[in-house]
Amino acid sequence: MIKKPMTPNPPESDDELLMRMRSGDEQAFVSLYRRRQAAIYRFALHMSGSMTVAEDVTQEVFLALIREECGYDPERGTLSSYLFGIARKLVLRHVERGRADVALETDVDSSARPELMVNDDPLTDLTDREGIEALRRAVFTLPRRYREVVVLCDLEEVDYGEAALVLGCPVGTVRSRLHRARALLLEKLSQRWHHRSGVSTLKPIRGLI
Amino acid sequence: MNCQEFWDTMPELAHEAGEGHCEHLRECSPCAALLNHQRALASGLRLVAAELRHVEAPARVESRLTAAFLGQAGLPVRRPASRWWMPVVTWASAAAAVAALAMFLMRDRQPAPAHRTASSSLQLAAVEAPADLDALGDSSDADNEFIPLPNAARIEPNEELNLVRVEVPRSAMIALGYAVSEDRASEPVEAEVVLGADGLARAVRFVE
Repeated sequence: MIKKPMTPNPPESDDELLMRMRSGDEQAFVSLYRRRQAAIYRFALHMSGSMTVAEDVTQEVFLALIREECGYDPERGTLSSYLFGIARKLVLRHVERGRADVALETDVDSSARPELMVNDDPLTDLTDREGIEALRRAVFTLPRRYREVVVLCDLEEVDYGEAALVLGCPVGTVRSRLHRARALLLEKLSQRWHHRSGVSTLKPIRGLI
Repeated sequence: MNCQEFWDTMPELAHEAGEGHCEHLRECSPCAALLNHQRALASGLRLVAAELRHVEAPARVESRLTAAFLGQAGLPVRRPASRWWMPVVTWASAAAAVAALAMFLMRDRQPAPAHRTASSSLQLAAVEAPADLDALGDSSDADNEFIPLPNAARIEPNEELNLVRVEVPRSAMIALGYAVSEDRASEPVEAEVVLGADGLARAVRFVE
């Protein structure tokens, strides 16, 4: 007799866990929390720059879920995007209260087209320790509306459609903000490189991004 | 293909450029450099993401939330919402009584005005933070902040507050969302209670 290979049970979906959680299943809640907390915490951390705020926000997001506040509707999007959406609002609230440890808004005139500084090769290595740290800092200094798309789409690998749900905007807006955010990142990194190397001959290129 | 057409049709950060794109890249060094930079940026962002992959909320958040979940799930599903607060209200009343007693005993000592402390949104499980306490200053020690008592009166602007320290069973902490092990539930714990001008408790924090 040939034994069939054991196939592991597929992991429960978020919505299945949520249903069990709402019927009082503690383990379902713990599983759901452990599955989703890290991304929410990191998002809040990136957006606020404060571990205290990130912890507060993570707690409040899941308290809202426990209390069934805010009305999650699976028809309108995934639980993940719903949680990110709450986290985003809470981070904004914290920022407005001035509770973040650092100032967040360094927003610039969005109507201005970016000038990408291109020279021989200022950005060849973003993969060494110093480059990664510089990039992380550059992300943090992005204006909020650009930072949130980079954090969601590039760092947390949320797809554009889901990011659009989180941000409450069309997918096209997500794309354009991401495009602009990446251009700003390159500009910041390029400026840093030029500042360090003392290179002064930059060639601004308009209209490419 | 000019530069604008190149970027309009170039798939974002694509590693495989089409024939037309390759031709443009060979002819246009600024576009080639920009594309290289964008690809380097994408690689860098992937590394940043990978480095932060292990970052997560502190374990205490899970403990608090699990306590909150159990507190909520322990009640009948269709129970009226107001009943949900009963354990907290009961404890708040007890705290108010203890505080009032403490006030009575301290009446001749002219207690010093309360030390105002921020209420962070890190409020625990079953407690909604009233806006008036939210307006107080900030504090870096989020674990040791005053927790507003539900159904307590609002703290009025310029209201004189008093602070008393009382001892309560550790089990009282459960009602406010703290995780307390069964074997320590009966142990006493010191708490500081903020009293309003009317002598009733408004907020509490555990000293430990």
